[in-house]
Amino acid sequence: MRKIFIIAKHEFLSTVKTKSFIFVLILPLLILIPMVIAMGFIPQMALETPRNIGFVDEVGILQANDNFTKFGDSENAKSALLDDEINAFFVIHKNYRETGNVTVYSKAGLFSSPPTSVIETFLRDSLLEESKIDETLKERIQEPAKENSITLNKKGEVEEQTGAGFFIPYVLAILLMLAIMTSSGYLMQGIVIEKESKTVEILLSSLTADELLTGKIIGFGSAGLLQVVIWCCMLVVAIAVTPLSALFQGISVSWILILAVVYFILGYLLFAGSMACVAAPASTVRDAQQGATVFTMLAILPMMLLTIIINAPNSIIAKVLMYIPYTASVTTLMRISLVEVPVYELVASLAILTISVIIVIKLSAKIFRTGILMYGQKMSLKEVWRYLKG
Amino acid sequence: MMTVKILDVKELTKRFDTKIVLDNISFDVEKGVIFGLLGPNGAGKTTMIRIILDILRADHGDIDIFGRKFDDALKARIGYLPEERGLYQKITVFECLKYFAELKEVKKSDDKIDFWLNKVELYDYKSKKIEELSKGMQQKVQLVAAFIHNPELLILDEPFSGLDPLNTKLIKDILVDQKREGKTIILSTHQMDQVERMCDRILLINRGKRVLYGSLAEIKGNYKESVVVEYEGKLKRVEGVKKVNDYGKYAELSLEEDTDPQEILKKLVEVVGVRKFELKAPSLNEIFIEVVENA
Repeated sequence: MRKIFIIAKHEFLSTVKTKSFIFVLILPLLILIPMVIAMGFIPQMALETPRNIGFVDEVGILQANDNFTKFGDSENAKSALLDDEINAFFVIHKNYRETGNVTVYSKAGLFSSPPTSVIETFLRDSLLEESKIDETLKERIQEPAKENSITLNKKGEVEEQTGAGFFIPYVLAILLMLAIMTSSGYLMQGIVIEKESKTVEILLSSLTADELLTGKIIGFGSAGLLQVVIWCCMLVVAIAVTPLSALFQGISVSWILILAVVYFILGYLLFAGSMACVAAPASTVRDAQQGATVFTMLAILPMMLLTIIINAPNSIIAKVLMYIPYTASVTTLMRISLVEVPVYELVASLAILTISVIIVIKLSAKIFRTGILMYGQKMSLKEVWRYLKG
Repeated sequence: MMTVKILDVKELTKRFDTKIVLDNISFDVEKGVIFGLLGPNGAGKTTMIRIILDILRADHGDIDIFGRKFDDALKARIGYLPEERGLYQKITVFECLKYFAELKEVKKSDDKIDFWLNKVELYDYKSKKIEELSKGMQQKVQLVAAFIHNPELLILDEPFSGLDPLNTKLIKDILVDQKREGKTIILSTHQMDQVERMCDRILLINRGKRVLYGSLAEIKGNYKESVVVEYEGKLKRVEGVKKVNDYGKYAELSLEEDTDPQEILKKLVEVVGVRKFELKAPSLNEIFIEVVENA
C-alpha cells in the first residue's frame, strides 16, 4: 500500500505542476465563465439599451417618442444618421398600408445591423393604436403566446422539464469529458514515457506491476478529481453571482455535483483502464494515441448527439447511451440536469458502469504486466488475447 | 569455510512464443563475489536478469535468492541497474533519487543521497535537472539509485557504458569496495577486460544456452595458451595458427593443438618485424570470441 501511495503522490504532484494541467484547470475561467456571465447579463443589457431610431412617415400613422425621432424627409434623416445623432432610420412609403414596404437605413460597420425587430414592434404598436381595438385583444396581438411546454411520454403522462435549457448539460458534459479525457490521457502518456525512457524497469525492481498501475491510476485520477472539484466550485460561484441563478430554480445543483464526482470517478477508471491497455504495449506516445482513438471517439459520442439528448432526454438514444459504459458518465449527467431520471435507471447505469470498470481494470492489469516490457513490436489482437490468458 | 549461496538458479527455461530464449540454465552465485554474466547481444542476459528480479516469469525452473523463493520483501535487498538507461528528465537529481529511495523504503534518505552523490562526485549537481546532465553523469545518478538502499545483492547491466576512463575507474573502485564490504555483485558487461580483472566467476550464455561456467582460472585452464605478438609490417597467415585477432601492430594468435610456439616465432620473424613475443593464457575476450563464433 505504501508504495502505491508513493507512486500516486509522485504522479499527482508531477501532474498538477505541469503548465498544461494549470491551463486546462483555468480553461473554464477563460471560456465558460465569461460565457455564463455574458448569458446572464447581455440579454438584459440589450433590452435595456435605448435605441435612437429616426423615421420618415409618408403615411402619417407614427408618433415620435423617447426612442423614435420623427424627420420631415429622408435627406434630413440621412444627415442625422451620418452625424451619429441617430443609430438608424426608416421610411414608410405612401403605399405602406397596401404593400407593407419600409426602407431601413443604417450605417455600415462591423457590429451594426438594421434594427428590424425593434422597428417591426414599433410599427405593430402604432398600427394597433390606430385601429382602436379592445385593449385585451391588443395585448394578445402584441404577445400571442406565453408558452408553457408540457412533454407527454408514451403513456400520456406529463414529464417534468426544468427550465435550465441546454446550458447546464452542455457545460457539465464538456467539463466532465475534459476531466476524464485529460486525466486518462496523462495516465497513458505517463505509462508510455516511462516505458520509452526505460524508467519502468527500475520501478519494477522496487514494486509489482499491479502496484505501479494502481498508484498511477490513483495519482492521475486524483489530479483529475481536483480539476472536477475546482470546476464545480467555479460553476457554483458563477451561478451565485450572475442572474443565471433564476434558471436553476427547481434543480438540485448539489445533487448533480455529487453525481458529477461519482460519475467522474467511475468514468475516469473506465477510460484509465482502457488507456493503460493501449499504452502498455505501445512503443511510442504516437502508437498509444492511435490505439486510444476508439476510446476518444466513444467519449465524444454524447457530444456529437448533444442536440438529440437535449431535445429528447427521454429518447431511446439518450437512454441507450446511459447504459453504454463509455458514454454513460456524460450522458447521465446531461439527462439528470434536464429531466427527472427514474432511480432504477440511475442504479442500472451505475451498476453496468461499475461492473465494466472492474472488468476493464482487471484486463488492463494483465495487459500492463506483460505489455510494459515489450519493446519494438506492434500490438496485435492475437497478442492481446495471449496477455489476457497469461 | 562454508560458502553461502546468494543466488541459486536451477534449470531455468523461458520461451517467447515458440522461441527459446533461455534453455535449461543452471548456475549459482556465492556471497561476496563479483559474478560475470556474459553473452553476445541477444543471448538472453536481460531476460535472465528480469526473471531473477521477478519482473518476468520463467516457464520452467527454480530460483532461490537469499535461500528462499522470491517475494516482495526481497526487492529491498537487491539493487538493479538496467541496461537501458532511463531517468525522469524534468526533475532534479535530488527529487529523482528521493523518489527511488522512497520506493525502496530507505530511512533518512536525504543523508544517503548526499553521501552517494559525494562519492560519485555529483554533489554539486544535486539541484540540477536530469536533462541538464551529460550521459555519463546520468549513468552515475542511475548507479546511485541502485546503491541508495544499501542492497546485499547488486545486479548491474553494463555499468561502465558511457563512462570516460576516470569515471570507469571511479565506479570500478566503488564496486570493489562493495565487494570488500561483503556485497555480492552480478555484472553483465561486454567489457571483457573489466570482467577479467574483477570477476571471480563467470557464466557465458549464447543463444539461450550455458556455454561457459566457473571460475576464470578453471575456464582458462581448459584453453591452450595463446601467443601475443607486437610487430611491424604486414602479418600474413602462419601455419599452425588456428585463429588470429589482428589489431594492425598487435595480434593475439590461437595455436593449433600440437603446434610448438617456438616454431611460430621462427615463422613470424620471416614475415614481420617482431618487437614482442609472449606466451600467455588466452584472454577472456579470445575465449568469448572463440566460443560464440564456434557455436
